[in-house]
Amino acid sequence: MAQMPTIEVPKWALLLLNNIYEVERKLIRNGDPGNVSRNIEKMKGALAEQMLFYEDPMGESFKETRTDLEATISGSNTENLVVVEVIKPVIRAGDAAFSRVVQKGIVLVQSKDVGEGKKEESI
Amino acid sequence: MSKMINFGIDLGTTNSLIAKFEKGQVEVFKNPNGFKESLPSVVAFRNDRILVGDQARTYAEKDPKGVASRFKRKMGTTETIKLTGGSKTPVELSAFVLKELKNFVHSGEQVDAAVITIPASFDTVQSNATKDAGLAAGFKKVLLLQEPIAASLAYANKEKSVDLRNSQWMVYDLGGGTFDVALVKIIEGELTVVDHEGDNYLGGSDFDALLVEKAIVPEICRRGKFADLLPQMKSEKGKYNKLWYRLLHAAEVAKIELSTKTSSEIDLGLVSLEDDDGTPVDALLTVTRSEFEEIIKAPIDGTVDMMKKILTRNSLRPEDLNFVLMVGGGAYIPFVRKRIEEVMGISVNTSIDPTNAIAMGAAYFAGSKEFKSDTANATVHKNNRQLKIRTAYNHNSQESEETFTAKFEGDVSGLFYRINSDDGSFDSGLKSLLPKISEDLPLREGAYNLFTFSILDGSNNPVDVGFDSIQIAQGRYSVAGQMLPEDICLVVDDIVNKDTRLKRVFARNNILPAKGKASVEVGKTVIKGSDDEIRIMVVEGPSERHSSTNKPIGILLISGNQINRDLIRGTEVDLTFEVSESRDLTISAYLNGTGQEFSQVFKGTARQVVSKMLAADVLDLETKIQKEIEEASKNGNHESAEGLERLHSRIQSLISEVGSLVHDDVTDDRFKLEDKKRKLAQDVFELTASKRVDAAKSAYVNSKDEVGGLVSESGNDREKHIYREIVAREQTFVNSTNPERIETATGELDRLRWQILMRTPDFLVGMFEHLVASRASMNDQVQAKQFIEAGRNHISNQDWDDLKQVNGRLWDLMPSDAREAEDMRLYTGII
Repeated sequence: MAQMPTIEVPKWALLLLNNIYEVERKLIRNGDPGNVSRNIEKMKGALAEQMLFYEDPMGESFKETRTDLEATISGSNTENLVVVEVIKPVIRAGDAAFSRVVQKGIVLVQSKDVGEGKKEESI
Repeated sequence: MSKMINFGIDLGTTNSLIAKFEKGQVEVFKNPNGFKESLPSVVAFRNDRILVGDQARTYAEKDPKGVASRFKRKMGTTETIKLTGGSKTPVELSAFVLKELKNFVHSGEQVDAAVITIPASFDTVQSNATKDAGLAAGFKKVLLLQEPIAASLAYANKEKSVDLRNSQWMVYDLGGGTFDVALVKIIEGELTVVDHEGDNYLGGSDFDALLVEKAIVPEICRRGKFADLLPQMKSEKGKYNKLWYRLLHAAEVAKIELSTKTSSEIDLGLVSLEDDDGTPVDALLTVTRSEFEEIIKAPIDGTVDMMKKILTRNSLRPEDLNFVLMVGGGAYIPFVRKRIEEVMGISVNTSIDPTNAIAMGAAYFAGSKEFKSDTANATVHKNNRQLKIRTAYNHNSQESEETFTAKFEGDVSGLFYRINSDDGSFDSGLKSLLPKISEDLPLREGAYNLFTFSILDGSNNPVDVGFDSIQIAQGRYSVAGQMLPEDICLVVDDIVNKDTRLKRVFARNNILPAKGKASVEVGKTVIKGSDDEIRIMVVEGPSERHSSTNKPIGILLISGNQINRDLIRGTEVDLTFEVSESRDLTISAYLNGTGQEFSQVFKGTARQVVSKMLAADVLDLETKIQKEIEEASKNGNHESAEGLERLHSRIQSLISEVGSLVHDDVTDDRFKLEDKKRKLAQDVFELTASKRVDAAKSAYVNSKDEVGGLVSESGNDREKHIYREIVAREQTFVNSTNPERIETATGELDRLRWQILMRTPDFLVGMFEHLVASRASMNDQVQAKQFIEAGRNHISNQDWDDLKQVNGRLWDLMPSDAREAEDMRLYTGII
């Protein structure tokens, strides 16, 4: 069984995407009075034209068959896990019709069963 | 038939690697799912699946009953590891890791034999257990090699000129979770491990935790009020448990950065960090290299003590050693190297890649060892079990998950199956093959989802059943009428050709709903309060055609009356286009110049035809036809001229029909007339298309010759490369029927021409003289005089860069009408 060849994406491109993601998240968190999001969208658009884009797995469910995420489990329960924090997004190469993971997302996951009914705490 | 073993495996306590020797070179294989060379030596049994590596490691701490790690330390013992999937021996678990490593071999060739490395501390029983693990993983032959020897071999193969005869050295291996140090000597021509020491609980991950505990947490505590931050972080149910993992990751990144920099910033800006009183804590922390060194000093000194013990036991002085060969991730830490050199007084050698040196050394060794193979060329095991498969699944789906089921006839005992997505996001893990299997496969929205299906025997060798691929298209072809029948394009002005051109927003066959974006520039200044306007016009039809031939489906008009300040030429407009499943088009335009957003929905059923614009379009079309007739007659192209004459009489009758339309016409007349106009425009386009293509081709050929000469004379390597690249793909556009594709290439050549000319002295001087000649019309005569004087100085001093700048400044002094001589009457006002 031959493997799909690995796509080599230059480190600078991953660094750029990771940072754009962080800026985007900070703008959401802290507000965006200067409308920086528009510039972010353009940068993302330019990279998407080069067949590179990221996806934010926040809130998605996680189980052992997912190989696009490198997860750390917070809490003791290992069932019904969802992504509660994203340290790095999933970066993919390709377009909407077919793409491949070129950087695993680095995330914290937690069981839905634990947090239910509890106010989400800020850390 | 005999062949070389070639494969070398570093079967580590925390991570494992596989490498292959081929034609004098060693390749370390990458994890197809992880982009790393290493595979965590962790095995998990969860929900009927066997998972090995990263996926298993995720659950290692939290589900110890289902996950086994660090089992290498139990090799050769009778201890079994009780897991939810039943008890497993360390040999069986190691076999899973070895089998998984076979999957790293991307060529698909079968791994029949391997050299597996073992720690210097392994005794005969432990060594034999490792060998058994190799055989259980399906290797027909297993050779063992001590890790320090493997590292030394990697070194010897890299530094071929170094003579190691009569020398001895230490191999210092500080890995992710374990530490080993060994004294290696050449005895009677053979590499031998003479003595060794180690600590099974010391490695890089301990340094990350120390950094969090001793540097980061104290700093956070200084910045806010925390009663018991660290215990709350470490406790599974603690208030700050998530922060612990977050900081461990940040510490690892900082540790790596501190190998090359003297300080590292930890940015926790994505976390709203609040103290016990709810006061936000500044989330930007700095860790310095000296702080880090202070923290790891004690454990590193512990490793030095072990080295000293070895020297004492063997009655050696530090100077008896040639060097200390460093492997493992710890070798990247400058302090580790410095401390060993400082305390031991022995030079540290880090010339080999510390993370894969052992696997590489094992592969070098494997490249020199033969074994007898009876299946040297077989890559897939023959299906001797008469196994037949019948599969059932939806090839098209609208769901986010689709169930794949398969039935098997024949003997399935002892076989496994595995499904991996080709995009690297799903791995079912190894599952026992039953007469009937089913697996839920996650699907990506709007994508072709490809999966590889494999059946494997107990040694992880593939068994051919004639079915190996699952393809499911999500959100496609399943509902009729969901695809766009034509391109959808934006009309923009084409300043160079004094016309308009189409910019494709959605391609034909695009799946609806669709969302697209484009950024355009305002081509003319629109004064606040004026009636002047820009037109965001969207048409449906082939993108290579002219805009007038395509069907308008939406026009968003933004006039001077709607804007809150002047819209200056050159400012950007961000456009968003959305087409819903029912083909409603939404155009949104954000004016960066004024900060305003305009949006309008155009119903798929209601066509947009503005009577005023239709009249202008028809007149434009008439002018165009007249020009074409003149040109065709001048070129003696009588056939075209006759055809165009016929179109001319049609357009004249259309003009009078459109003229009789009232401004607020409520009938469908304007739609009929718009159709007529479009058909006419299509005819004009067809009659003149070949002319445009010919003109574009000839312009391209001229540019190519001219720029070619310029590039070979004055172009740098990069420019030569760009030129060669354009010419190399010539065949892809030069025979196209689309003039725009040819014009794009000509545009690229023209840019190259300017780039080179702008640093060519003759051109710069010529341009300067031309500007000097236009001095009288310049806006500021005093400044012009100063620039001209400066320019003359630059010419006499041959300061060409400075002359270029002077030319630029002089150009700015030219009256705007001279600079804008190329302006046309803009149609849309956007470019």
